Amino acid sequence: MFSEVAPAARRAFFALAVFAVCLLFMFPVLWLILTSLRPVSGVYYVHRGLEFTLGNFAEVLRDERIVHAFVNSGLIATLATVLSLMVTVSSGYMLSRFRGPIARTWFGTIYVFRCVPYISWVLPLYFVTQSWGIYDTYLGLLLPHIAVHICFFSWLMKGFFDGIDPSMEYAALIDGCTRWGAFLRVALPSAIPAISALAVLCWLFTWNEFLFALILTGQKTPVITVVMAQFVSEMGLQWNLMSATAVLALVPAFLLTLFGQKYVVRGLKI
Amino acid sequence: MLLLIAPAALLMALFQVLPIVIGANASFRDWALNNPKKTWVGLSHYIEVITDPAFLQVVLPNTFLFMAVSVCGALVIGLCLALVLNRGFRGQKLVQTMLLLPLMVAPVIAAIMMRWMFNDQFGIVNVVLEAVGIEGQPWMAQRWSAFAVILLTDIWLWTPWFMLLLLAGLQSLPREPFEAAAIDGTTAWRVFRYLTLPMLRPVIVVCIVIRSIDAFRTFDIVWTLTGGGPARSTELFSLYAYVHAFLNLDFGKGSAAAIIGAVIILVVGLLLYRLTDRVMKG
Repeated sequence: MFSEVAPAARRAFFALAVFAVCLLFMFPVLWLILTSLRPVSGVYYVHRGLEFTLGNFAEVLRDERIVHAFVNSGLIATLATVLSLMVTVSSGYMLSRFRGPIARTWFGTIYVFRCVPYISWVLPLYFVTQSWGIYDTYLGLLLPHIAVHICFFSWLMKGFFDGIDPSMEYAALIDGCTRWGAFLRVALPSAIPAISALAVLCWLFTWNEFLFALILTGQKTPVITVVMAQFVSEMGLQWNLMSATAVLALVPAFLLTLFGQKYVVRGLKI
Repeated sequence: MLLLIAPAALLMALFQVLPIVIGANASFRDWALNNPKKTWVGLSHYIEVITDPAFLQVVLPNTFLFMAVSVCGALVIGLCLALVLNRGFRGQKLVQTMLLLPLMVAPVIAAIMMRWMFNDQFGIVNVVLEAVGIEGQPWMAQRWSAFAVILLTDIWLWTPWFMLLLLAGLQSLPREPFEAAAIDGTTAWRVFRYLTLPMLRPVIVVCIVIRSIDAFRTFDIVWTLTGGGPARSTELFSLYAYVHAFLNLDFGKGSAAAIIGAVIILVVGLLLYRLTDRVMKG
């Protein structure tokens, strides 16, 4: 009898512990959502009272600057994803399939630049983009974003191609395919799962990125993370509007992760 | 073969190598707004930074403390969660999805919500503390409590990353040693200490290397949570360089700090890489 009760109690305790941990992990986000639904009168006492409203979202979306920032963030994240994948897939393939001094140098370069702190090259990039006239434009934010993904994603793609047997490509080469043909027609299609994984990760990184946007954009090209950080100082007391903006910024990332979770998990595991 | 990396190499040359060269050049010059000639001042910016008591006694210790605590904290919690998830139970997929939530939250947003939760007047943390009879704290107004909130935010953000990678590592381990241990009636702790941990070591080391290098350059959560305050006591290295270049408008000194930081992390990164190599081989 006792031996039957003990495992049941243990299971219940285990379930309770798991539930508590999940709640603890999700609490900050839940609290943010709750705050965003409170009217101005109730926002300072979120834990008291039961009035809820969607008015905060409506008010935030009436702000042109915020809408503009959302559009900009979305555009830059999408373009950066497409372009950086085009650049890094081939670079990762090269790292995986070729030997010799060039491949070794390229790998070394990538490893070193992966370690360089962003601030060390984004700081002077402020002057570079200004002297090229692309400061505070899409291009001026997009190109550095692509550049920063090169190191990490080439590395991940190399890892992925290392796991694919190259004998199919050799067979294609023997059948008269060019090296490019073997890459484009044989290796590339088999890499589609890895590419989708990187696409999801890349979009999330760019959407969430802050430091580049802070330094490389100004009034003309607001980006959502920078706008939110400015909020904290400018509208420090309007927590209901702050939270509503933050929740809106979470939604695209949340949807992408929900539908692409398989890919995110796989991408991080490569 | 060169064509495969040409676009990537070109972008990197223009947007990473060139700026670093320009930054290095600026670090030897008096690149302030009121000096259009940009006079060559040699190593004086470097000496200023290295002898700056704020840099030596606040920024560097902060940065390394942040690196150590945030990486170890996220590693330990992530490992515990990965071990639990690896046991497999009903609803495990759902739990995993919920625990991955912080991965998609932008650091800026995470910082904003922590700032709200730890608000000294209206934050839920103080409300709960006062309800159980503990006096609420002005979290962001004191150095160590502000630093603790920064650490908490970073650990919250990065635990799922560790969890995911360690779980993948756990699932790829061979089953036989564990079955043999079960037959021998080994205790759970000994299985963990003498089987799981040694076999998982390569994954753990890679995680530590990657995460440490990233933790060193952390900027956004500190900037949004405290802005380096109170009184610049929670500044990390990236903030120090940013503040000097863009708030004090002393671009030369900011660049010198950025270069010093890059050199430090390259040395640390190289040491960590060596360590990884040795552990992977032995």
